[in-house]
Amino acid sequence: MEPIISIKGLSKKYGDKIVLQNINLEVEPGQIIGYIGPNGAGKSTTVKVLTGIIQDYEGEVTVMGRKLADNLMEIKGKVGYIPELAELYDLLTPREYLTFTGRLYHLSNDVIEDRSRRMLESFGLLANIDQRMDSFSKGMRQKVLITSGLLHNPEIVFMDEPLSGLDANAVILIKELLQALKQEGKTIFYCSHMMDVVEKVSDRIVLISNGMILANGTIDELRQNNGDTLEQIFSRLTSAGGFTQKADDLAAAMKENFTAQ
Amino acid sequence: MLASPLWRSLGADVIQLEAILDMRLMIDDRKPLSTGMGKRQSQKKDRKHGSIWSALLFTFMGVLYIIPLYAIPDRITGMSVYFSLLLAFITLTLITDFSNTLFDKRDKYILFPRPVSDKTLVLAKLLHVFIYLLRMVLPMALPAWVMLGCIDGWASALLFPLPLTLMVCLALFFVNSFYLLVLHLTRPEKFKDIINYFQIFTSVVFFATVYLLPGYFNREGNNRFDASNFAWLKFLPSSWLAACWVWIGFPAPQQNTLMLSIIGILLPLLCAFILIKWLSPQFSKKISGIDGIEVTESSNNTAVKSSSKSKIYVQLARLFNRSEEGQAGFIITWLLTSRSRTFRMRVYPSFAFIPIYFIYLLSQGKNGIKYAIADLPHTSKHLLLLYMSSYVLISGMSYMIMSEQYKAAWVYYSSPVGVPGKVMSGALKAMWVKFFLPFFSVLSIFTLVTWGPQVLPDLLLALINVTLLAACIARVSFRQLPFSMMEQAKQKGGKFLKGLISMLVPATLGLGHYFAIHLWWLKLIFMLLSSAMLWLVWDSYSNTTWANINREEQNS
Repeated sequence: MEPIISIKGLSKKYGDKIVLQNINLEVEPGQIIGYIGPNGAGKSTTVKVLTGIIQDYEGEVTVMGRKLADNLMEIKGKVGYIPELAELYDLLTPREYLTFTGRLYHLSNDVIEDRSRRMLESFGLLANIDQRMDSFSKGMRQKVLITSGLLHNPEIVFMDEPLSGLDANAVILIKELLQALKQEGKTIFYCSHMMDVVEKVSDRIVLISNGMILANGTIDELRQNNGDTLEQIFSRLTSAGGFTQKADDLAAAMKENFTAQ
Repeated sequence: MLASPLWRSLGADVIQLEAILDMRLMIDDRKPLSTGMGKRQSQKKDRKHGSIWSALLFTFMGVLYIIPLYAIPDRITGMSVYFSLLLAFITLTLITDFSNTLFDKRDKYILFPRPVSDKTLVLAKLLHVFIYLLRMVLPMALPAWVMLGCIDGWASALLFPLPLTLMVCLALFFVNSFYLLVLHLTRPEKFKDIINYFQIFTSVVFFATVYLLPGYFNREGNNRFDASNFAWLKFLPSSWLAACWVWIGFPAPQQNTLMLSIIGILLPLLCAFILIKWLSPQFSKKISGIDGIEVTESSNNTAVKSSSKSKIYVQLARLFNRSEEGQAGFIITWLLTSRSRTFRMRVYPSFAFIPIYFIYLLSQGKNGIKYAIADLPHTSKHLLLLYMSSYVLISGMSYMIMSEQYKAAWVYYSSPVGVPGKVMSGALKAMWVKFFLPFFSVLSIFTLVTWGPQVLPDLLLALINVTLLAACIARVSFRQLPFSMMEQAKQKGGKFLKGLISMLVPATLGLGHYFAIHLWWLKLIFMLLSSAMLWLVWDSYSNTTWANINREEQNS
């Protein structure tokens, strides 16, 4: 099967800082890829390259069989992006914001209206469709953001920490949504720190650290060599550890300060 | 900390009080003033000496405010006018400039969970306001202080701080009462909007004071300023304060000022008592709840049926833009310019600045303002007024690209927008339709009424030229997506120069308009020329590419 995303020798620098180093990766259509790594590993940068937000990179990226750099607008129109932080123009209402983003994807007003209403209803936000988002909670904003990322029915969905700020019910809903999207044949590129969710939903897991891919395989393949849970695998491969000692040190420091006062 | 036993006796924790005050005063130093002149202070570099710049600005204001003291021979009347101006200014500034501090919602997360008592919090707030006012009032009163010392002797100058302190008490009382009244009458979410309109009003008052006040007192001369012309002043608190100063400052006070000066001393003290006893605690309670209001999911069960299709701005977006991107740019600009308080604060005053500045220019003539107004139909000053309207459009354009939520602009970059110029063009059209066209229409009506229908071709040519001017400036200096830039204090010199050069061509046309004022055929030629240029410039702006935008970002 031809990969829907193909990355060859992807590197990216910010000034002298190397963020991505020679990344090679292929993603098959209809898969959920769990893209994990510690803070600053290069996850968000990879997603920004794949969504066309960052264009000055080295290497070759092919999406849906077409070279990203040469078919940027066409590819952007077929992918959805849900960023890590719910940065949106919160002086607008969800309806206004979704109408605005929908227009950027050339959707007709009827389609925008219909899809917005149905999707917001699923998130339990329909009653808030005409309320300004500056008074929304983080979770509510995140739901609007997810709706805007899916509104144009993308083939590939890039999710960067999509569960940030969501309550337990919404998390279940998103997990179900991931499966539903997969059944629809969509490909999902899922970045997260929440190991248990990644472990449960992903067909394949890619672990990145310091801009390099350290592991790439199914959860069973990763378990064979590195540990029992994804959390343990993550910890081992990213050379983190000694958490008990670190926690003890923190507690001790707190006490010392208290005594000194 | 100064007067620690006093604060302790009032039930405050002095260490906490000092910490809170230190933090608040530090934040004050890093914030720009909302008088309109401070808006360029937002850059970190400029904020470094924020207090010094503020003091200088207030001293300058103080110099303007002493004009009544030497223009009005009667000292009580002069002092009453002086205190009226000072009281109005500090009350307005306190309402506008200080509201952000008072309603800083970070308090809810930073202070409220800590073991800080209500008494400490209330006292910290009052002391903060008091210090804030002193920082404003002392430099503002400095010129009057020096002047009184020179004219009335050192004894009266020595006592001058007394009515000033009483005035601060009054201002605090008025502001607290105002806040409580507004909080009582409106919904909390509307409260900040009301404060925002006060900020706009203050900015206009500030501008008008600087431009019109000196001229007014110079024009009217000293003759008309006797006490009988200002009899109504005795009903104002400022007059009582003035009376109080005269009573203390002179060895033999006039009989008719005795009662007023007693009121002048007792009333502020009574106000201060009411403030500490009732208003401040009530106010603290009210504002502790103001940011706790957060919309919850499905909190409003009213059926949502209205569609954006029926909205006027959607119809206008379609009327003025063929592309979807253009419509999106138009709509988002239309909506956000109405809702962004920062945008309103920066652009709305420009509507008032133009008539104020026009009156100021008229008043510069030898024969005075009345003669200048009567003579208007015999002049070509309608061109001045019409071309000045470009300030509204340029001001709107310059702030249209900026936003506190500039990070939300990621959406342009991730969506399939091939030619971002289309979005930008839509945004610029929204500015033109929403702000410039109505304003220009009002000016046109005034022009037609004053100068007659023969100026109709001038209106048309000015409309085209001003739009061309705006398009040139947008093309050269504001080639960015709407609400996508972090707020910046200054443009680079090269960019400014480019902007200046870009204005030369339309300025030449404007000058040509002036010389062609009596030649209709020449006006027609200019109209055609300007229209052709407008088409070319707008086309270039509408075709701005991502590469152009990236280059602009690197240069900014």
